[in-house]
Amino acid sequence: MDRASVNFAFRKKLNQVLGGEHHNYCYQCAACVASCPAARYATDFNPRMIMQMALYGFGERLTGQDSPIWLCTNCYTCYERCPQDVRPVEVIIALKNMAAQQGTAPESVIKYAEAVLETGRTTPVTAVVDRRRQELGLEPLQKMPIEEIRRLTEE
Amino acid sequence: MRDGKVRAALFLGCVIPVRYPHIELAVRKTMANLNVELVDLAGFACCPDPIYFKARDKVLWLTLAARNLCVAEEAGLDVITLCSGCTSTLKEAVFLLAEDAALKERINRQLAKLGKEYKGTARVKHVVVMLRDDLGIDRVAASIRRPLSGIRVGVHYGCHLLKPSQIMDVDDADYPHILEDLVAVTGAIPVPHREQLLCCGKGCLHDLIPLQMTRDIFAAMTDAGVDCMGLICPTCFSSFDLGQITIARKMNEAYNLPVIYFCQLLGLAQGLSTEEVGLHWHRIKMDSVMEKLQRATAGPTMTCS
Repeated sequence: MDRASVNFAFRKKLNQVLGGEHHNYCYQCAACVASCPAARYATDFNPRMIMQMALYGFGERLTGQDSPIWLCTNCYTCYERCPQDVRPVEVIIALKNMAAQQGTAPESVIKYAEAVLETGRTTPVTAVVDRRRQELGLEPLQKMPIEEIRRLTEE
Repeated sequence: MRDGKVRAALFLGCVIPVRYPHIELAVRKTMANLNVELVDLAGFACCPDPIYFKARDKVLWLTLAARNLCVAEEAGLDVITLCSGCTSTLKEAVFLLAEDAALKERINRQLAKLGKEYKGTARVKHVVVMLRDDLGIDRVAASIRRPLSGIRVGVHYGCHLLKPSQIMDVDDADYPHILEDLVAVTGAIPVPHREQLLCCGKGCLHDLIPLQMTRDIFAAMTDAGVDCMGLICPTCFSSFDLGQITIARKMNEAYNLPVIYFCQLLGLAQGLSTEEVGLHWHRIKMDSVMEKLQRATAGPTMTCS
């Protein structure tokens, strides 16, 4: 991997995504790896290597359908450990945003987010839920501000 | 304010009121016993969730989080959360919008369409942090009617109450003690174990890894000799309560370890019944814990050896 192989175009794009710009600070110390639970359990997940791939601009590997980024547990230990304020988990989230934008994010993630936009909740409400709340003496669930959410999704 | 009257907006989130309303009931009853006034405001929606929704579009995630915060600001109230995910989203939104003025301006341009403006005046706290910092541990202790003497509770912190400490600012992320302190107030014994700070794995998109993580936490707690597991997040609760059924099926390992949300544990110690804190809704029943408690309570009057 010589200098010529760095894909600066991808890095510029990553810099435009909220949180993605912090990847530039990474000096590959690997403090993020030691206490990463995903790295402990998955042989193909390593936050330092993901930051390295970001620094080289390996966009296809990072945002393609078989990207390792989706194994991140979002535990924020790397954010806690990083001496450079890279916030690796947030760089990974920026990469996930790029994948979602280009249509390569897992369907389950997209569906989950769509549910929030359509219903205001991640969890579907059924008649059983309403009945159980009533049995417990709890107030009925509040109406969700769906119209306000819809207006905020428009650029 | 410490030793003052606590009055704040209750941010229920999605998972507790829909999937675990009995936990909501336990929160409302225990907080009423502590004279904490939780205000139900109209207009809150999903925080939105800090894993999937944030993965789809972080800017929209931040916009919707800021909208929720505006609802509390307009009422002049701080926000009490019950879920580590909601806490993470709302506190990170407060942090990012304070850190980056241009970002705040961008989000406020969107919110202006609703006639709203995010100012940054509302503080966000998980209910356990409110108990420690605003109400004070002493007043929690004063509400205890039936100390849970002898009950060994394995604490599961989860990730988002503590990390990143730059944003969450609750406790030392490596050597926390807030939950041990609160469990001790109920009279129960907080039991340390080797996987104290391991993630529940919920955020990892893999068929097996989340189960392996929860399995390792159960094994650690079992080795430490706990009677039940105590936690503060409904997503962790799902991973461990329902998760045990899945582990038994897929890995052929049965732990049968009851899982309890902190306010349910507090409720029992305040003298509420198992039904009043909703323990009969759990997949893994608390019977063994309640029997042990009854034996301990009956102890001094028993004469046989």
